[in-house]
Amino acid sequence: MTFFRFTAALWAAVGALALVAAPGAAQTPQSGGHLNVMLREDLPQGFAVHETSTISTSFPSMPCFNNLVVFDQLKRTESLETLVGELAEKWSWQDNYRNLVFFLRKDVKWHDGKPFTSKDVKFTFDVLREAPDAPAKLRINPRKDWYANVEAVEAADPHTVVFRLKRPQPSLLMMFASGYTPIYAAHVPPANYRTSCIGTGPFKVKEWRKGEFVDYVKNPDYFVKGRPYLDSIRYVVIENRGTRMSALQAGKVDVSFPGEMSKTIADQIKKAVPQMVVTTVGQTVSDNIIMNVKKPPFDNLKVRLAVSYAIDRRGMIQAVHQGGAVPGAALPPKPWGIWGIAEQGLAALPGYGKPAEEKAKARKIMAELGYTQEKPLKVEIGTRAIAIYVDMASFVINELKQIGIEATLKQVETAQWHAMATRGDYQIGANLTGLGIDDPDANFYENYACGSPRNYSHYCSEQVGKMIDQQSQEVNQQKRLELVLALQKKVEEEAPRPILDWKLDYFSHWPYVHNMVPQNNIYNFGRMQDVWRDK
Amino acid sequence: MKTYLAQRLGIAALTLFGMSLVIFVLLRLAPGDIVDILFSTGGYVNPSERVAIEKELGLDKPLWIQYVDWMRNMVTGDLGKSYRYDLPAWEIIRPLLPVTIELATLSMIVAVLLGVPTGVISAVRQDSTLDYVLRVVSLAGLSMPSFWLGMVIILALVAWIGWIPPMTYVPASENLKLHMIQFALPALAVGYRSSALIMRITRSALLEVMREDYIRTARAKGQGERTVIWNHALKNAILPVVTVIGIEFAFLIGGLVVTETVFNLPGIARFLVQAILWRDYPIVQTLVMFIAMVVIISNLAVDMLYGVLDPRVRYGS
Amino acid sequence: MVVVAAPGRAADPGWPETLLRFCRKKPLGAAGGFIMLVIVFTAVFANVLQTHDPIATNAAATLAPPSAAHWLGTDHLGRDIYSRILHGARVSLLVGLGSTLVASVLGGIIGLLSGYVGGKTDLVVQRVMDILQGLPLLVLALVMAAALGPSIPNVILAISIPIMPRAARVIRSSVLSIREFQYVEAARAIGLTHLRIAFRHILPNTIGPFIVLGTAQLGSAILTEAALSFLGLGVPEPYPSWGRMLSVSAAEYAQKAPWLVLFPGIAISLAVFGSNLLGDALRDTLDPRLRGA
Repeated sequence: MTFFRFTAALWAAVGALALVAAPGAAQTPQSGGHLNVMLREDLPQGFAVHETSTISTSFPSMPCFNNLVVFDQLKRTESLETLVGELAEKWSWQDNYRNLVFFLRKDVKWHDGKPFTSKDVKFTFDVLREAPDAPAKLRINPRKDWYANVEAVEAADPHTVVFRLKRPQPSLLMMFASGYTPIYAAHVPPANYRTSCIGTGPFKVKEWRKGEFVDYVKNPDYFVKGRPYLDSIRYVVIENRGTRMSALQAGKVDVSFPGEMSKTIADQIKKAVPQMVVTTVGQTVSDNIIMNVKKPPFDNLKVRLAVSYAIDRRGMIQAVHQGGAVPGAALPPKPWGIWGIAEQGLAALPGYGKPAEEKAKARKIMAELGYTQEKPLKVEIGTRAIAIYVDMASFVINELKQIGIEATLKQVETAQWHAMATRGDYQIGANLTGLGIDDPDANFYENYACGSPRNYSHYCSEQVGKMIDQQSQEVNQQKRLELVLALQKKVEEEAPRPILDWKLDYFSHWPYVHNMVPQNNIYNFGRMQDVWRDK
Repeated sequence: MKTYLAQRLGIAALTLFGMSLVIFVLLRLAPGDIVDILFSTGGYVNPSERVAIEKELGLDKPLWIQYVDWMRNMVTGDLGKSYRYDLPAWEIIRPLLPVTIELATLSMIVAVLLGVPTGVISAVRQDSTLDYVLRVVSLAGLSMPSFWLGMVIILALVAWIGWIPPMTYVPASENLKLHMIQFALPALAVGYRSSALIMRITRSALLEVMREDYIRTARAKGQGERTVIWNHALKNAILPVVTVIGIEFAFLIGGLVVTETVFNLPGIARFLVQAILWRDYPIVQTLVMFIAMVVIISNLAVDMLYGVLDPRVRYGS
Repeated sequence: MVVVAAPGRAADPGWPETLLRFCRKKPLGAAGGFIMLVIVFTAVFANVLQTHDPIATNAAATLAPPSAAHWLGTDHLGRDIYSRILHGARVSLLVGLGSTLVASVLGGIIGLLSGYVGGKTDLVVQRVMDILQGLPLLVLALVMAAALGPSIPNVILAISIPIMPRAARVIRSSVLSIREFQYVEAARAIGLTHLRIAFRHILPNTIGPFIVLGTAQLGSAILTEAALSFLGLGVPEPYPSWGRMLSVSAAEYAQKAPWLVLFPGIAISLAVFGSNLLGDALRDTLDPRLRGA
C-alpha cells in the first residue's frame, strides 16, 4: 500500500512538473519548419513593389526585402513610437525637419552576395523621385508624389545617407516604414524585380511557379543573427475564395491573407476550428463614394451632400460587412489609426446622424431641386466588377432610391476602372481605397490634392490645398493633429469623396504559428523575420 | 487516300489561319489593354508612362503590322513574350500543358468507362426501367454545371471529413498517391458529364445498328443474343462512338476552364481565363491557337479513323 | 424514307391528339416539357410569384436559413433567394432562348443561302463556320464576352455566335437534300424567284430540325451563361443570374449557408435537364432517320 501511494505521488509530481514546464517550453522560439500562407491571386508584377500599389505584390515580397526603417513587426499599431531600424541603425532629423540622416548597418549583404551600401539607398530614392540624373527609370511609378518634397539624396559615405528636403516634412519618416518602400539594389535593373527578387531580407526566393506559388528559403547570411526562425515559406495562390477558406480550415494553409477575413468568414472558421487564433485589426482600407465634381449633377455641392446624408454608414457596416467595419472620416479612427475623427466628432458630420433624419434632410435638398422618389434624378453609378465593390454599390443604390436618386449600376472591368475614373468618364462611383500608410500626407496628397492622378473626384480647392500643405510642414505633433482633424471635417463637408467606413480584418492563423502579428494596416507587416512555429 | 489527307490538311491550315484572324481581332476589340491593367495594379494612370510602355510592347504599331509580326514570329517558333510576366510565352505555358492533358485524358477514360457500358445496357434493354434510370442519371450529369458539381464536392468533403484535395499541384513524380487523389475528383466531375454524351451516342448508334437487316439475319440463324451484340452490333456501332470520343476530347479542354478554377489546378484552361482578363495578347493567342490545333487534329484523326474503319469511305463513294 | 409534308396541307390530326400521343410514347420528353413549362411560367410571372423584391437588401436578415419568411433563405446581403431564383429564371431563359434564337436565325439564313447558292460561296461559308466551331464553346464565348463587355444583349451575342455554325450546318443539309426535288424544278420552270422558292418551299421543311436543334442548344446556352456569370463575365448586377449567384459570394459563405450554393445550382440543372429531355424526345419524334422503317 505504501509502495502504491509512493508511486502515485511520484507520478503526480511528474505530471505536475510536465504541466508546469510545458507552456514555458512552448514559448521559446524554435528554429526550423515550414509555413504556408495564402495568396488571393498571383503576384501582378512579381516583386516589383515600386511599380505596383497592390497588396498582392507587397505582402508576398516582404520576406525578400528590407526597408530603412519598419514598424515593429511584433506590435499591432503603427506609429512613430513603434518605428524600429532595419537597414538603418540610427537616424535623426536635423535643421528643424529639413534634413533626415540615416546611419546604415555595415554587415548587410544582398542575396547575390554583394555588399549593401548607401549607394543602394540613393539609387532607390533617386529612381523613385525621378531625379533628373536618376540612373534608371520605373515603368510605372505610383508613389512618385511621396517624394515630391525631396530635393536631394546624398550618399556621404558608404554607410550614411542624407535626405535634403525642400521644406520640413515629418511624415517622410513614416513613408519609409511602409511595405511599399523596400530598398532596391543599385546593381539590379528595376525591371528584373518583375521576374525575380534580389533583396537583403530574411528569405531568398527559391522558385516562383507562375499562378501557383512562391517558395522562399531561409537566408543564411541574414544580418540579424539567429533569424529567421523558419526554414521556408510558401505563398500559395488560391483564386477561388471558397477554396481559400476550405484550405485554411483544413490546415493546408497556416496563415490568412491580410484583408481577406471578413467577420462572417472568421466566425465560420472559428466555429469549425475553435483553436484558430483570430485577431481583429484595422486594414486602413476604406469604402468611399467618389463623385465627379466637374460634371453635373455632382458639381452641385448640395447634391453631393444629399448623397452623403442618404447613406446610413452604420447600416452599411451591418448590411455589407456584418459589423466588420467602423465608421470614420478621411483617416481611420482610434484605435485603428492615429489621426481619425473619433465617434463623438463624427456625429457632427453629414451622414452620421440618425438615419431617418439624415434621409429627410437629403429628400428636402432633392425636392428643392425638383426630384422626388416618384420623379427621381437618374444617374449611373460605376464600380469594379468584383463582388465586394458590387455589394457596396447595391447597398448605396438602395439608399439613394429612398431620397429621389435612381442609380443604375454600371459594372466596369478592372482593366478600365482606373482609366475611366482618371478621365472623369463617370458621374458617381463606389470605390475602395487602401492607404499605404496611416498618414495625412499620404492620404490627402493622393486623394484630395489638385491634379493628383488618384483624385478621382477631380476635386480642387485652393483652401484645402493650403490646409494640406500647412499640416504637412507642422512639426509639433499635437498642433498637427488639430490641423488634420479640421482638414478631415472640411473635406467631409465638401463631400467630393464621402467615406462610408473603414474595414476591419479578422486575421487568422493556426495556433502553432507564433509571432505572426497583424497590424492595423495591411500593407506594412509580413516580414516573417521573427515568425516561428511549433514542430 | 493520300489526296484525301492532303485535301484535309490544306483545309485545316486554312481554318487555323482563319481562327488566328478571329482571335486577333476579338482580343483587340475588348476594351482596355495590358497598359490599363498595369496602371490598375499601380492604382493610377499616367499618360506619358502609357506611351512609353506601349512602345516597349509594340502596341503602338498599326494593327495589321502587329498581326503580320505575330504570324511571322509564330512560323519561326517565337510565340512572343507574356505581357504580364515578362517571360517567353512558351516558357510559361509549357509547365501547364501536362496538367490539362492529363486531366483531359483521365476525364475521357472515366467518361468512356462510364458511358459505353451504360449505353450498351441501355440499348439492349431499351425502354425498360433500367434504361430510363440510366438515361435520367446520365442526362442529369449533362445538365449540371460542372463548376457547381465541383463546388458541392469540395464543400461536402470539408463539411463531412474536414479534408480537401491538395491545393497546390502535386506532380506525379513527387507523390504519386497524392497526385492521383488530386486528379481523381475533377476527373470524375468532368468525366461524368462527358460520359452522358458518350452513353447517348452509344445507345442510339447501337439501337440503329440493331434495327439493320443483318442483325435480324444473325438472330434468325440462331446466334445467341450476346454473340449478336458483341460480334455484329457493337463492331458496327463503334464508329459514331469513336467519333464522339474524338470530338469530345477536344472540347473537353474548353470545358476544363471552370473545373481547373474550382479545383485550383494549374492548367492552360484556368490560365486562359486569367490571360484574357489581363489582356495578355501573346498568351491568349498562343493558347487559343493551341486549343484550335488540338480540335482540328482530333477532327482529322477521327476522319482518318473513319477512313480506316469504314470501308465505304476508304474506297470512295 | 424521308417524310416531307407538302407545304400548306395539314397532314396530321389535331394538336391535342398529337400531344397526348407524344406524352404516352415519350414520358421522359413529356416530363421535360412539363419542367420547361414550369420554368417559363416562373419566368413570366416572377413578379407575381415573388415574396420579396429580388434586389432589396436587408441588413437584419443576412444569411438566414430557409424559413417561413424566406422560403429558400437569404444571401449575404439579406436578399431573398427564392425571389432571386424566380427572376433568375427570366435571365436564364432570356439569354438561353435569346442566344438560341439569334443563333438559329443567323445560322439559318446563312445555311439556307449557302446551301441554296452552292458552289464557291458555299465552300467559303463552310470554312468560316468551321472556324467558329473549331473553338470550344466556352472559350469563344469568354473572349467575346470580354470583347463586348458585360450586358445582357452582349452576353446573348457572345453565346449565339459560337452556336450559330451548328444551326447553319443543320439547315444547310436540309436545303441540300431538298434542293434536288422535282417540285423545285417545277417552281423554277413556272418562274418563281430563287428567294421565293427558298423561303416558301424549303424553309418550312426545316422547321423540324430547327426545333430539335433549338431545344438541344438551349441547354448549352443556359450552361454557358452560368459559366460566364460564374467567371464574372456574364450578366451584370443587379439582374439576378443563377450563374452569378453561384460565384464568389456563394462560395465564400457556403459552409455557413449551403443553401446559397444548392438552390441556384439545382435551378440551373433542372432547366437544362428539362430542355434536354424535351429535346431528346422531340428529336426522336421528328428526326425521320431514327423513326422505325
